[in-house]
Amino acid sequence: MEIVKVEGLRKSYAAKEVLKGIDFCAEAGDIIGVIGKNGAGKSTFLEILLTLRSYRHGTVHLFGQELNEASEKQRGQIRQQLSAVLQPTQFYRTLKVIELLKLFKVYYKSPLDVEKIMADFKLDDHRKTYFDKLSGGWKQIVSLAIAFLAAPKMLILDEPTTGLDPHMRNMLWTYITDYNKRTGGTVILTTHNMDEVELYCDRVMLLNDGVAEVFDTTGRILESGYKSIHDFYITQVAK
Amino acid sequence: MIATQLKYDLLMFSRELFYVVFTLIVPPVTYLFMGSLYGGFTYAGNLSYAESYTPSFILLITFGVVFFAFGFDQVTNRVSGVEKRIALAPVSRRTILISGILKSIIITSFGYIFVSLIGVMAYDLTFEINNALQSFGLFMLLNAVLLIISSAIYSFFKTINGALVFSIVTFQVVLFTGGFAMPIDRMPAFVQTIAAVNPLYHMNQLFISVWNGQFQLERTSLISLAYIGLCVILALFALRFATRYRSSM
Repeated sequence: MEIVKVEGLRKSYAAKEVLKGIDFCAEAGDIIGVIGKNGAGKSTFLEILLTLRSYRHGTVHLFGQELNEASEKQRGQIRQQLSAVLQPTQFYRTLKVIELLKLFKVYYKSPLDVEKIMADFKLDDHRKTYFDKLSGGWKQIVSLAIAFLAAPKMLILDEPTTGLDPHMRNMLWTYITDYNKRTGGTVILTTHNMDEVELYCDRVMLLNDGVAEVFDTTGRILESGYKSIHDFYITQVAK
Repeated sequence: MIATQLKYDLLMFSRELFYVVFTLIVPPVTYLFMGSLYGGFTYAGNLSYAESYTPSFILLITFGVVFFAFGFDQVTNRVSGVEKRIALAPVSRRTILISGILKSIIITSFGYIFVSLIGVMAYDLTFEINNALQSFGLFMLLNAVLLIISSAIYSFFKTINGALVFSIVTFQVVLFTGGFAMPIDRMPAFVQTIAAVNPLYHMNQLFISVWNGQFQLERTSLISLAYIGLCVILALFALRFATRYRSSM
């Protein structure tokens, strides 16, 4: 089942064109890594998928609905089916972890039990900690817990593991892959960690200066002669 | 959903020491302090200290709440990325906005009652039912005016530091040129000039006159009404511009 279909997407900020005709698609259950140098247009691309940014050229279909043709109500219905971990991770800083989860449960009208989510994400020790007082890693975990609370059909993660220690990184990926296997949800993420892309992603889109230079499976990329995805990335961006 | 959002909005306000100090502690303490210094004086319109300054300090609390806990809060949420994360959730902007407005009304109404009670207990302030009802009606209207102006002003800030410096400086300017500290006609000429362009000064004069049943449609009150109206129109234009700019991004 096709979840996302993007054709000829262009996006400019004033005179600067940051996306120059992107074609992209994602099926249910895909884990897709979007990689590229800083300023390549990765975050802008994800924010368009998240309905947070406008675009003038091209089409973006989410769950079969073209975003520019969607009414506010239809956009609300689309948002009901997706969730995200953004960079930087921010929520109301003076709310406690449990309060944030309860508030977002109401936003998403989630049937999931907040206490179960707290237990699943090992957040009990931080139940009464203000979001602002959490470490960067725990902020990411809370953000991910809130993202899962939404029971999304598509999860978008903007550099979710940046700044995390290896233990936290591993924990985060365990949750992401579990979610993917359990629910068949689609995951689209950006990262600068190529080992993660090689380990966890089914497909990779390499953005370079707003152009999708490569969009292929990790398997085919490795079969084409690269020692690793890291090797592929370094070779491609150096061109 | 609005009830839940409002509950957490009020909770967040109560946890922000900066907001609480500037909105619910500084104005009543200043009201009492100024009263201990100038409580025995008679003010314009043959009014006592309590008759003149009780509505003023209620308005000062309203200004503090609307500018800090509504306007400044919007900048903080926008700059830190909270607004973006909330925009992504299936909660309408309308719900967030209505909750923010209700929060401001509840806190400023608390300030209204709080300062009035101080006036009754410390300065034997009395109320006349008709004036009290009209005052509360005008107070709600001024709340709405300040919400529009504050939203427009803060929609242009891109950094928290810029908004913070602006808020603190504006609070001082409003305090001294809005007629909240000392009668403007006893201040230097340059302060009187600043007061003439300070919308809070005009709101204050209107509020004092309605509070004391002295409001009349004459030149001064018409100038104040027209000036406040002009500020609201300009603020609405600014808000429209800012909204269009953001939705084009």
